[in-house]
Amino acid sequence: MASTVELASSFIEGAPPGELADVTAGNTLSLLVLPLPAPALTSEGENIIPSLIPAFERYNERQLATVKLPGSSQEVIVSEFNKLEDNRYFDTESQTSFEVDHTNQTASAAQSAPLESQNADLIKSLLKSLGIHAREHYPSCSYGVYPIENDSAVAILVVSNRYSPNNFWNGRFRAIYQVPASSSSTVTGKIHVDVHYYEDGNVALNTTKPVSLSVPSASAESIISRIATAERDYHEELNRAFVQMAEGAFKGLRRQLPITRQKVEWEKVGGYRLGQDISGGKGR
Amino acid sequence: MADAQFDSALDLLRRLSPRDTKANLQAITSIVPDLTEDLLSSVDQPLEIRRCPQSNRDYLLCDYNRDGDSYRSPWSNEFDPPLEDGTVPSERVRKLEVAANDAFDVYRELYYEGGVGSVYFWDLDDGFAGVTPGSQSSGEWDSIHVFEATDRARMSHYKLTSTVILHLAKESEALGEMDLSGNMTRQVEVDLPVESDASHVANVGRLVEDMELKMRNLLQEVYFGKAKDVVGELRSLAPLSETNRDRATQLEMIKSIQK
Repeated sequence: MASTVELASSFIEGAPPGELADVTAGNTLSLLVLPLPAPALTSEGENIIPSLIPAFERYNERQLATVKLPGSSQEVIVSEFNKLEDNRYFDTESQTSFEVDHTNQTASAAQSAPLESQNADLIKSLLKSLGIHAREHYPSCSYGVYPIENDSAVAILVVSNRYSPNNFWNGRFRAIYQVPASSSSTVTGKIHVDVHYYEDGNVALNTTKPVSLSVPSASAESIISRIATAERDYHEELNRAFVQMAEGAFKGLRRQLPITRQKVEWEKVGGYRLGQDISGGKGR
Repeated sequence: MADAQFDSALDLLRRLSPRDTKANLQAITSIVPDLTEDLLSSVDQPLEIRRCPQSNRDYLLCDYNRDGDSYRSPWSNEFDPPLEDGTVPSERVRKLEVAANDAFDVYRELYYEGGVGSVYFWDLDDGFAGVTPGSQSSGEWDSIHVFEATDRARMSHYKLTSTVILHLAKESEALGEMDLSGNMTRQVEVDLPVESDASHVANVGRLVEDMELKMRNLLQEVYFGKAKDVVGELRSLAPLSETNRDRATQLEMIKSIQK
């Protein structure tokens, strides 16, 4: 059977957009896991949190968690693509590296980190074009472009979060692309949309759309232009899918009214016989 | 502590993916076994279907027709696997249960044109209670209506708690994978006149029918309206500079009219 640490880790990694704190510190996980009798605890003793840090780290990197740089209002991305050593990550636009506290999703110990890459020009042009595109379509987003795979390729990331816990909904849009720096012929990647609605219920939208785009030239403009078109096409396709599901599968599951357009005549479909069976329709 | 843990468990299940409720429930109860019975009776899970060996008809498995590892068929009133001393309803309440199964069978055919439905009743000190689980299209739609009827003079007080679990998925090259899953719960309490036991079936029937219509509309609104709107909040199809310009122009117009 899976250990408490494994199970608690799966809860952390399954946290919906904007609800990591609710799933963990916000009493749920701590109440479930911490007051356990000794045998259920980890070998370290009372505190299970240190053994859960890898789960927080995986969650933050996969979900493209954003953290505020110290002394700045700017939110930068945490991902596997801009990872350094010892919980440090770097941001190419502000040319800063920073340390991340994975359980609290905060950044500290910022340092200057000049971009050192043979593709520095491409990365800077991509950041410029991506910034224009992102600001036009994502009301609250963070983005990043990083050298990856020993400086042979670049990763292009966009994450857009909207949290409205007072109205019981939260959402996240993530786009993760990779493009070889030498011959920028094909952009590959994935778009994910996650929405959680939880007023008197628990409803989740989760999508994954693989993307493969051929790019006419290796210029930053053409790469971002192709990405922008693909994102627009996907958004339109998703909107169409909502309509198709509502008109198709959903309608087929349960009718709004019977085919007769009449509600059920309950006295006739069971009640009469019962009344006669028991007491001719009078007693109780 | 136990109450707080129970509330925490419910809150956690309300947040984690509704697709994985069964696995998450197992995970929680393996960490805190004391919560098992309480959670099983308060967390709705997708329904499973079993064939009744006596009547050869399908019925639904839920916590309300379970006794140990056996489930009671509403058609035969027998447990499968057989139980020597399984809890069955009193004679009066079993008669109500049989009548309700007949009535809800008509209801199911009229609204679902298929699927599987069952009704289970049990005795209470001052009345009775029941549940009408319904399942359509192998786990895409499960509805679970639990009610209590408390006897009063020529009236009965009904309390109905309804949950619908709806799983939808779509996949294509242009769309990729799309999963829209979840559950919603609503409650209603009402006093209704009762002339005979027959009134109970009609009263409960109408309550469930009205509630299910409301919930169907609510699900439609949340799944295809709200979820789509939130996607629109995350990403704007129209360029935001245009949207902001339009909004500014509108504000200017309103201001100039007000002057």
